[in-house]
Amino acid sequence: MAKFVTIGERLSTTAPAVNKAFMERDPEPILARAKQQLDAGAVYLDVNIGPAEGYGEDLMKWAVQLLQSNFDNVPLALDTSNKKAIEAGISVYNRSKGKPIVNSADAAGRIENVDLAAANDAIVIALCNGEGIAKDNDERMAYCQTLLERGLEHGMEPTDLWFDPLFLVVKGMQDKQMEILECIKMFSDMGLNSTGGLSNNSNGMPKHIRPIMDSALVAMCMMQGLTSAIVNPNDLRLMETIKSCDVFKNNTLYADSYLEI
Amino acid sequence: MPFTAKSGKFNAKINAVTIGTGDKAITIGGENVLPFYTFDEAIENAPKVGIEITDGGMEAEPECIQKCYEGCTSVVDMAKKAVTFDGVDFLSIRLEGGDPNGKNKSTEELIQLVNDVAAAVDVPLFVCGCKNVEKDAELLDKAAAALAGKNAVILAAKEENYKTIGASAGLAYKQVVGAESAVDINLAKQLNVLLTQLGVSGQSVVMNVGTASAGYGFEYVVSTMDRVKAAALSQSDATLQMPIVTPVASEVWNVKEAAASEADMPEWGNQEERGVDMEIETAAAVLAAGSNAVILRHPESVKTISTLVKELV
Repeated sequence: MAKFVTIGERLSTTAPAVNKAFMERDPEPILARAKQQLDAGAVYLDVNIGPAEGYGEDLMKWAVQLLQSNFDNVPLALDTSNKKAIEAGISVYNRSKGKPIVNSADAAGRIENVDLAAANDAIVIALCNGEGIAKDNDERMAYCQTLLERGLEHGMEPTDLWFDPLFLVVKGMQDKQMEILECIKMFSDMGLNSTGGLSNNSNGMPKHIRPIMDSALVAMCMMQGLTSAIVNPNDLRLMETIKSCDVFKNNTLYADSYLEI
Repeated sequence: MPFTAKSGKFNAKINAVTIGTGDKAITIGGENVLPFYTFDEAIENAPKVGIEITDGGMEAEPECIQKCYEGCTSVVDMAKKAVTFDGVDFLSIRLEGGDPNGKNKSTEELIQLVNDVAAAVDVPLFVCGCKNVEKDAELLDKAAAALAGKNAVILAAKEENYKTIGASAGLAYKQVVGAESAVDINLAKQLNVLLTQLGVSGQSVVMNVGTASAGYGFEYVVSTMDRVKAAALSQSDATLQMPIVTPVASEVWNVKEAAASEADMPEWGNQEERGVDMEIETAAAVLAAGSNAVILRHPESVKTISTLVKELV
């Protein structure tokens, strides 16, 4: 089994400092955050530029080239609802360290992002969602099937669709948590890859609690077969948990210094 | 349904490490397939075969090997002769006389010998210590200095002395550092991590993951090598992508099947044949398990293994 793939989430327009840097094309804050995440063990970096209407193509190209030229062609997840911006990003993307990830498609309005990924030999995050949150796993798996078939029709390898069960917030949807875990197991039993915004579970919790909840959940998810997650790699507890689970799963060979590498 | 053969080549590959300088330099590693799986992808650098002599000279050799060095009166003579045997890619000088529990030769004496041998041959050099970790720290530090510019392999840094030997051989004198662990895959990885954390480039490290003579707990050796290659290639584990070098001779010629004379064991037959057989069997097996170089002692074994490699790669 391959190592768990962490996708660093800290380059996002939702962070005011990042948003400002994107707007002003100021490399320094972007590079600093990218470095922190890579040093902490992120494999992919998510580049969330928001909808970026009108300037998304230019911005995504700039961001892809900036990050890849500074960090040895680091693989990236291109995260925007702006399709043209994703295509523009891929047009300048160097895939020597991994295919680009299109973030994301769903089974409703954004299903065409599967086609976009297929046309560009990219990975796509396939969110098992239609209009609104799926009510149960039957519905999630129906979306999974729809997305998978769409990918296969367009010539994708099934492993290039990374299925996202949509992690739900504990404060409000505590009773749904086990369903998400069961859904991951179903993906895994089908031999499919999976990912998602895992830290959504702890939204609204005190800052010191979140790493504890996120770590517990990632361990449970990895047991169920989750292959990737979009996380904050600078959460030390979380990264230590992921590395330890990778050892238990025999994804990496243990050595005394395993937390340092 | 038609059968479609799937290539077993990996995205990851073993580091290619060059040893020695000039025309005789060799490169080991670089492959992205399992050992000898040339049908999946060409193996650019075939495994290499070295011959070993020791500071003990003729006296330290079994009679059947002394015969091959007839006329040699010194270790340097033996070195000159050794590199002329068929199939020899590199020379290994083992400084076993340095062992404080053995002959306890001085570091100065042994380093003088290393210098003399290095001056007499132009093939890549491996220097092996005496297996005493404190003495080796001193001895191999000086050997690394003496061989500056030769791009030699220093065997070996162990968990107990990697800081001294890594700093000297890897950082100060830019030799290739051998990282030795005793059939313990987790320690093999750990030692590589420690060396790289020390600042030694992973590209100038080779591993001796430990060995035994065939029949002496050998299945652990094979499974260790198998798992090292599996982690390096299928899990892309950069901390295990160093090529493996296996000193076979120093194990084989000490076991009774190779060492017992025909007079003591008449029912076992000719000693030379037994020794060479053990050496060839062990070497062939560690190569099949993933070794990128083997160190042998009998010229006949060197020739046979070298031929085997040439036929397969």
